[in-house]
Amino acid sequence: MKQDAFSKLHPAVNLLFFIGAVCFGVLLQHPIYLLAGIFASGVYYFSLNGRKAIKTILLMIPLFIFITLFNPIVNTRGVTVLFTYLDRPYTLEALVYGIAVAATFVLMILWLGCYGKVLTGDKFICLFGNLAPSLSLLLVMVFRMIPSLLQKAKQIIGVRSSIGKGIEEKSSIKNKLNSGMTVIGVLTSWALEGSITTSDSMRSRGYGTAKRTSFMVYKMTKTDWLFGVVMLILLGIVIFFAANGGMNAEFLPERNITPIKGINTIGFIVYLGYLLIPTILNIKEVIQWNISKSKI
Amino acid sequence: MKKSNVAMLIVFLALIPLTLFWGDKLPGKGYYITGVLIIAELSIPFFMMFERRKPQARELVVLAIMCALAVIGRVVIPIPHFKAAFAIIMLTGIAFGPESGFIVGAITAFASNFFYGQGAYMPWQMMAYGAGGMLAGFVFIKNKIPRKPWIMAIFGFLANVFWIGPLLDTSHIFIMMPEISFATITASLASGFPVNVSQGICTALMMFIFGKPLLEKLDRVKQKYGMLEDENGI
Repeated sequence: MKQDAFSKLHPAVNLLFFIGAVCFGVLLQHPIYLLAGIFASGVYYFSLNGRKAIKTILLMIPLFIFITLFNPIVNTRGVTVLFTYLDRPYTLEALVYGIAVAATFVLMILWLGCYGKVLTGDKFICLFGNLAPSLSLLLVMVFRMIPSLLQKAKQIIGVRSSIGKGIEEKSSIKNKLNSGMTVIGVLTSWALEGSITTSDSMRSRGYGTAKRTSFMVYKMTKTDWLFGVVMLILLGIVIFFAANGGMNAEFLPERNITPIKGINTIGFIVYLGYLLIPTILNIKEVIQWNISKSKI
Repeated sequence: MKKSNVAMLIVFLALIPLTLFWGDKLPGKGYYITGVLIIAELSIPFFMMFERRKPQARELVVLAIMCALAVIGRVVIPIPHFKAAFAIIMLTGIAFGPESGFIVGAITAFASNFFYGQGAYMPWQMMAYGAGGMLAGFVFIKNKIPRKPWIMAIFGFLANVFWIGPLLDTSHIFIMMPEISFATITASLASGFPVNVSQGICTALMMFIFGKPLLEKLDRVKQKYGMLEDENGI
C-alpha cells in the first residue's frame, strides 16, 4: 500500500490538523468555504482510500439531497416563498440553508473518514496513554482481543458445522439465533478462561507494582515542530479573519453572504492552504520519488 | 473530599456552564462542537473514578473481553441488523455494577469506531452505550430486583426504547439538523423510534436467551477469583 506522507508526522500534529479542519468545517457556513472544505477533504479522502472512496462519495449524494430538501420542512423562516403545503411555506432561503447544512454534514463525514485512516489506535494511545493508563491499557486489550475472539469464533463455528450443527443462508431465524447464542456462550467461557491465564501472567510480571511506562515509537522531530507551528499560525490568521466578519454568511430570514474580495481573499487562501497541507505533502512526496527514480 | 468528587463539582459548576456560555457565541453549526465538549466533560469524573481505583489485572482483562464480545457480536450472530452489543453491555452492568457497565459501554463504542470506521456520532454513542450499562447496573444493584430472564428482557426492551435509543438519536439533532428547535427534536426522536423498537426486541431476545447463562459464567469467575470485590484480590 502506498504510504501517506501526512500520516508519518507526529500524531499530535495529525490531531491538531483534524481538530482545526473539523471545527472550521462546522463553524464556517459560507458556501465558498464549505466548497473548499469538501474539495480538500474529498481529495485527501480519495488519496487515502483509492477506488473505495468513490463509492463512499457517491453514497453521500442521496444523503445530501435528503438533508437539503428536509430543512425547509422543519424551518419555515425565509422571505422568498416557493410554494405552500398544508398552510406551511416552503422557502428558498431555507432550501439554500439546507444545502449549507448538508455540505457541513458531508464535509464532517469525509474529514472523520480521513481521521480514522490517519490516527489509528496505536497513535491515539501514544497521545493519551499517559493521561489515563488503566483506560488505555483496557483499550489496547480490546483492540487485541477483537481479532483474537473473531478467530476463536470462526473456529467454534467451523467445529459446529463439522458435527452437523452449522447454519446456512436459508436457515430459519430461530436456528440462526440459537446457534449464534451458543457460539457467543462458548466464546465467552473460552475467553474468560483465557483471561485468568492472562491476568496471572500480568501479575507475575509485576503489573501494578510500579508506574506503568509506555513505549513510544513517535518522537517530535524538527519537521513536526515546523508543521505544528505553521498550522497554528494559519489557524490564527483564519480566526482573525473570521472574527472580523470576513467569512460571515447568513441565510435566514434573508440571504446575506459576505463576498470574498479585497482583503478577505487572504483569509480564504490561508484557509484553503491549511486544508490542503496533507495533499500538498503527498504531492511533494510523489514528485520527490519520481525525481529520485529518474536519477537511477 | 475525594478527587473524583471535586472533579465532578468542577465539571458541573464551572466547565459545563462556561462551555454553554461560550458555545452559544459560536457561529454556524457551533452547537456540534459544544455538544461534543459537554459529553467529554461529563465523562471526565467517571473515567477519573476508574483510574483512581487502580483496577487490577483480572478486572481489566474481563472488562476487555466484554468490550470485545460486544464489538464482534454482530459478526457471530449472522442476522442482519441484529445488534448484540446493548445486551452484552447491560449484562456486564448487571454483573459488575454501574461503574463497570459505564466503562464497558463507552469503551465498546469507542473501540468499534476504530474497527468499523469513525463517525461524527461517536461521542453520542459513547455516552448512550455507557449510560445504558450504568442504568442496568443501578436497576439490578444488590439483587433487589431478581435477575429473572423475562424481567431482564423487559428491562432491556424498555431501556433500549426509552433510554439508549433517544440518547443516540440526539446525535441526529446535532449532526444533521439545521437548528435546535422543538420541531427538529421531535423529528429526530420520531425518526429513530422504529429503529429503537426493533433494537429493543433484539436486546430483549438476547437478554432472555443469553442473559442467564452469561451472568452465571460471570458470577462464577467473580466468585472463584474474587474479582471486582476486595481491593487486595488482584
